[in-house]
Amino acid sequence: MRRLKKHSSQSIFPTSIEKLKKKIESEFLKSEDVAFTVYQQESKKIVVFYIAFLVDQQKVEEMLLKPLLDMETPWTGQSILDEIPLGGGQTNSDTKNIIKGLNSGDVHLYVENEKHLITYQLAKSEKRALDKAETESIVIGPQLAFTESIASNLNVISWRLNTPDLAMEKFMIGKRNPKETRMIYLKSVANETDVNTMRQRLNELDLDMVEDIHMIKQYILDNSYSVFPQFVATELVDRAMYTIKEGKIIVLIEDSPLALIAPSTFFSFFESTEDRYFHWNLSSFIIGLRFLAAFVTLIMTPFYVAAITYHYELIPSQLLISVGESRAAVPFPPIIEVLILELVIELLREAGARLPSRVGQTIGIVGGVVVGTAAVQAGITSNVLVILVTFSALASFATPSYIMGNTIRFIRFPLIILSGFYGIIGLMFGVSFLVIHLLRLQSLGRSYLAPLYPLRLADFNKVFFRLPEQWQGRRFLSYQPKDKHSFPNKKAMERKDIGK
Amino acid sequence: MKINLDIPKNLQFRAFYMFFIMIGAIIGVDMIGSPGIIFIRAGHDSWISIILAYFYILLLIFTMLYILRQYENADILGIQTDLFGSFISKAIGIVYIVFFASQILATLLIYIEIIQAFIFPESNSFVLGFMLLSLIVYSLLGGLRVVIGVVFVFIVLSSWLLLLLIQPAMQMEFLNFLPIFDEGIPAILDGVQATAFTFTGIEVLFFLYPFVQDKDKIGKPLFWGFTSTAFFILLLTVISIGFLSAPQLERRIWVVLNLYKLQTTPIIERLDYIVVAEWMMVTVPRVILIMWCVIYILKRMYQIPKKYSVYGLAILLLCIIPFFDQHFEIQNLIESSRIVAIRLVYIYPFLLLPLVLFKKSRKNKEN
Repeated sequence: MRRLKKHSSQSIFPTSIEKLKKKIESEFLKSEDVAFTVYQQESKKIVVFYIAFLVDQQKVEEMLLKPLLDMETPWTGQSILDEIPLGGGQTNSDTKNIIKGLNSGDVHLYVENEKHLITYQLAKSEKRALDKAETESIVIGPQLAFTESIASNLNVISWRLNTPDLAMEKFMIGKRNPKETRMIYLKSVANETDVNTMRQRLNELDLDMVEDIHMIKQYILDNSYSVFPQFVATELVDRAMYTIKEGKIIVLIEDSPLALIAPSTFFSFFESTEDRYFHWNLSSFIIGLRFLAAFVTLIMTPFYVAAITYHYELIPSQLLISVGESRAAVPFPPIIEVLILELVIELLREAGARLPSRVGQTIGIVGGVVVGTAAVQAGITSNVLVILVTFSALASFATPSYIMGNTIRFIRFPLIILSGFYGIIGLMFGVSFLVIHLLRLQSLGRSYLAPLYPLRLADFNKVFFRLPEQWQGRRFLSYQPKDKHSFPNKKAMERKDIGK
Repeated sequence: MKINLDIPKNLQFRAFYMFFIMIGAIIGVDMIGSPGIIFIRAGHDSWISIILAYFYILLLIFTMLYILRQYENADILGIQTDLFGSFISKAIGIVYIVFFASQILATLLIYIEIIQAFIFPESNSFVLGFMLLSLIVYSLLGGLRVVIGVVFVFIVLSSWLLLLLIQPAMQMEFLNFLPIFDEGIPAILDGVQATAFTFTGIEVLFFLYPFVQDKDKIGKPLFWGFTSTAFFILLLTVISIGFLSAPQLERRIWVVLNLYKLQTTPIIERLDYIVVAEWMMVTVPRVILIMWCVIYILKRMYQIPKKYSVYGLAILLLCIIPFFDQHFEIQNLIESSRIVAIRLVYIYPFLLLPLVLFKKSRKNKEN
């Protein structure tokens, strides 16, 4: 009873066209964008109104207006709905709903003195087509990337994982501007605790608006004081597919071309989809190279500072001569010298990333080559250090994840300062501290350093090296998936040919 | 005080990690000097002393395990309460705390002394102590999961130090070991006693046992953990005796570092610097484990929250460290700690065993 009363008090119908127009104009903020058109059939008047830039104009003209004006039966709400069977046609009488509909691209029709208004959904949202991945560049393998439209992302995922097992839970995040968010996982594989944790974290989000998945990522992190990224965000469709198959969860949100992978380990930031497409021996080599590069980036310049400042005995005498010669003219202590040069490299990277690509390249060459050479000739830095700094910057770009690469370069600065103050002991202290920090971190409640700790030797095969593909039957066991095997190992090893 | 503990599942750890806990708890920084200390007592028959000590301690460990298995899920504090009542148990608990504190202090002081002798003669022991203790506090605040993780990962990361022993092992002089049994039985037994400080750390089993997830599997990791530790100490002693001459062994304080001294690589000339730095990853796990035990005792006996006890203990240790700036003071500390260790760690469990069995049989009769 109560509900009915409320309903009738809000309804303004039946009404005249003039009144309706006034009502809309008074209540709607973007009223100048609303296009009102009045048509007449004998004595009956009809008004069609919508926001021009939110609807597909061509569809409105061809599929709505043309049949409407050609209609031979008299215009009533029911006859229009019957004669123009466009998708989403419905009657509507609530002013609030009408205005909300206007905002999301609905076309409203109103025949004068009718009880209801007719609404068609002819929205058009501008989106780019599916495209190649830009930020995660790969050489071989599928290059398809997600786009900003969640509808097309869901379409892509559903076609690729065409199984009834695929769960796509829907959330609306944002109070003022709710955005569709999806949590996608394989029901029979993903660990239930992880799914529940993620669901709870997404449900508890009480935000105003969300711009991008990176914002959500920062709200649902386990430790927001850490520099380390705790969830991988990928734009590659095949990587997202692979992680779903492994039993992890991905999160997609409207207007973001990235998928969040949870839980993630420290080592998953050093993964590339190509590792799985190359031969196992080759990709083992490349994985090893990446870890070596990350280690070199972290250690090289701090070690230089420690050795040159305090422990020159560490450097073999042959090498010491050339290092000493190159440093003879340099007026600064090693720590200042290294900090200056490292900052210059960081500046070059940042400038190169912010500038348009052509200018960026030029700046890189000018900065790197010209300034580097001039600095050495002017005796501000030693050329050995220029080599080391460039080498470690190069090594840092071998990390496939851009965020992780930046993190590693950032951590180097405290390490440089520590080695400047306490030499190799300071460096060791920094590294130990880092390891303890990584051990303390968690991602979605799972250990960040898995499978190293807690130790699972079976998972090493996916993280530190790769075995031939028939050995890969086990899923990532550290996350305790419900279904532990993706295929039986023994059967795959047999490899029987029909001919034999 | 409750006798049996109820540990939630997320705080338990797999028995497999007991292997690394044994290594981490025993191998500390005193390893660097112990071949010399044992050599002074037992001469070139030191290796026999270590083997004897190994068998004695193996028996001890399984006695400890046997005692613990008489209860459902108890630690040494619960067992003591059951046997002697709350008051005596707390008194022994305080002895444990003081003993552990002296162990932590000795370990930190030896490492700081080595750094000052080898790398930074002028460095401030307060600052070095602050660095080491901040690592320890940071890992302790993470809880038992992080503590065991640190022990495990640090041992793995420092295991490459073993590779550097190959070269001195190749240059060993086997005549140094002859004649066998030359020193006489008293000297060898004296050498067994000298290992007492080196092998302390096994007592953490008394405190960590309730946290083990699969208790029926604990035997193997314990055995292999202790065996590999003892083997490592034996290896160091044998290589030291074979590689260095007797006067060198007697004169030098940090014998093991001499083994690393002659190694060079094309990139790094003096590896002993790196070894001293890397030894931080060997020192810290031991201190973390022992300090965890102290905090555990404090929490169990006096309900002191972890945060207060961790910070309090760290600040206390940090204040004491600068006062020990002479070598003989540290040696005195080690010596008194060793004497307590012989009683508390190596004899006490054997005294406990008949009492536990007596109590159990009486309980069974009552039922």
